Amino acid sequence: MQDRPSAWELLDAVAELLEETLMPATEGGVRHQARVAANLCRIVQRELESGAELEAREAELIAEALGEDEAIGATELGRQLSERLLSGDEDLERRAWPALVKIVRGKLSISKPGYDDYDYAGESES
Amino acid sequence: MTDLAAVREGIERFLSDEWGEVSVGELQPVSAGARRLNVLFDAERQGEPLGLAATVVPTAAIQIVSTEAEASNLRFAEAAGVPVPHVHAVCTDEAYVGGPFIISTRVAGVSVARQILRLATDTEGLGARVGRQMGEAMAKLHLSPTDAAHPTLRRPHNGSPAKTGLATLRELLESLLQPSPTFALAYKWLERHRPADPTSLVFVHGDFRHGNILVTEHGLEAVLDWEGCHLGDGMEDVAWVCQRMWRFRNDGLEVGGLADRTDLRAGYEAAGGAWDEHSFHWWKVYGALRWGMGLAGQSRQHLDRSFRSVIMAGSGRRCAELEYDLLRLLAGSYQ
Repeated sequence: MQDRPSAWELLDAVAELLEETLMPATEGGVRHQARVAANLCRIVQRELESGAELEAREAELIAEALGEDEAIGATELGRQLSERLLSGDEDLERRAWPALVKIVRGKLSISKPGYDDYDYAGESES
Repeated sequence: MTDLAAVREGIERFLSDEWGEVSVGELQPVSAGARRLNVLFDAERQGEPLGLAATVVPTAAIQIVSTEAEASNLRFAEAAGVPVPHVHAVCTDEAYVGGPFIISTRVAGVSVARQILRLATDTEGLGARVGRQMGEAMAKLHLSPTDAAHPTLRRPHNGSPAKTGLATLRELLESLLQPSPTFALAYKWLERHRPADPTSLVFVHGDFRHGNILVTEHGLEAVLDWEGCHLGDGMEDVAWVCQRMWRFRNDGLEVGGLADRTDLRAGYEAAGGAWDEHSFHWWKVYGALRWGMGLAGQSRQHLDRSFRSVIMAGSGRRCAELEYDLLRLLAGSYQ
């Protein structure tokens, strides 16, 4: 067991330094890098909070679409799904699409919360 | 760090060799890609004041296309009636400033997305006007006979822009560090829905969007960055500016957060362009997939240490945005 601050709390400290001290003290390209770095800290914080749960859910969803065992894990299942989609399986595409929407929404809840508020109405071809 | 004083001195020497005695004022650097330096300056040629701009490539070795070819593309666009900075001179002799450069007219306006969007918010009707003008400019470019184009201009192998695009995507797909089922699904969709090839290949700008346009309160003033041009399908250009990443949160306005698709289309058709809705949609899916895999490629370059950067590292985590865009664009086929 590591001592406090926890990993989340340390990232919080680094993000605060970047946002409140380094960003105002810099400009142009360096400030942009500081902003990106702060955002990456925030992403990792959210990943610490809900990453494991989302990954388990991802494995479940892909396993269901593939008819495989979720115990194989999200990484291997994702590899198998990509491979089978690329081999050309339209039924699998139809099963995979709703699962992928859920999975990608989960990823966005960590990497860019709110990005999926826009639903592209009128931009999809039927 | 580029030595601006040395570049200024080199440009002055070059212009004097070309035009007779010329004096060049202080260079004002403007937002530029990492690879190129763009500067604005005042010059004087035998008492005549000139507002000029220079695009300097640090060394010819990193060029996408030769400076000659890029200048030729600019002249092609100008002849087609597209607003572009007029090319005054091209220098391929690296002795002057350490790399080749183009000297062109300085055109007023802002190019950074946030500045363009702010201007559009503050100026009644500007966004729709710029959307329409972009459509007009693209149609003029696409309707221009391509025999005058530079001989090195990239063209699709076997004459099919969509097939060539698919081959590029397939290569990118193979190079991903981590397979993406969404990218795979989008790729298969593109394969199955490939549009008919255009009746003739047209001159495509290739990167027509914020950052590469100059806008004032009067409208579109110039289209910049003519190094990614190729022969292809005109719908590639119109679809590219409609990608969500150019909207900067103004998601309801499909054309760069400025205008509706109907504005872009009205301008395109008013200038004589033939709009194909299916082809437009196909190239939009294509552009989103290509950019998604481009982001993955940026993080790969960071991880394999060929280009270490916190921004490139962060790009990998932006893939999910393009995956979402792709899934929503394809909703009509799967829901």
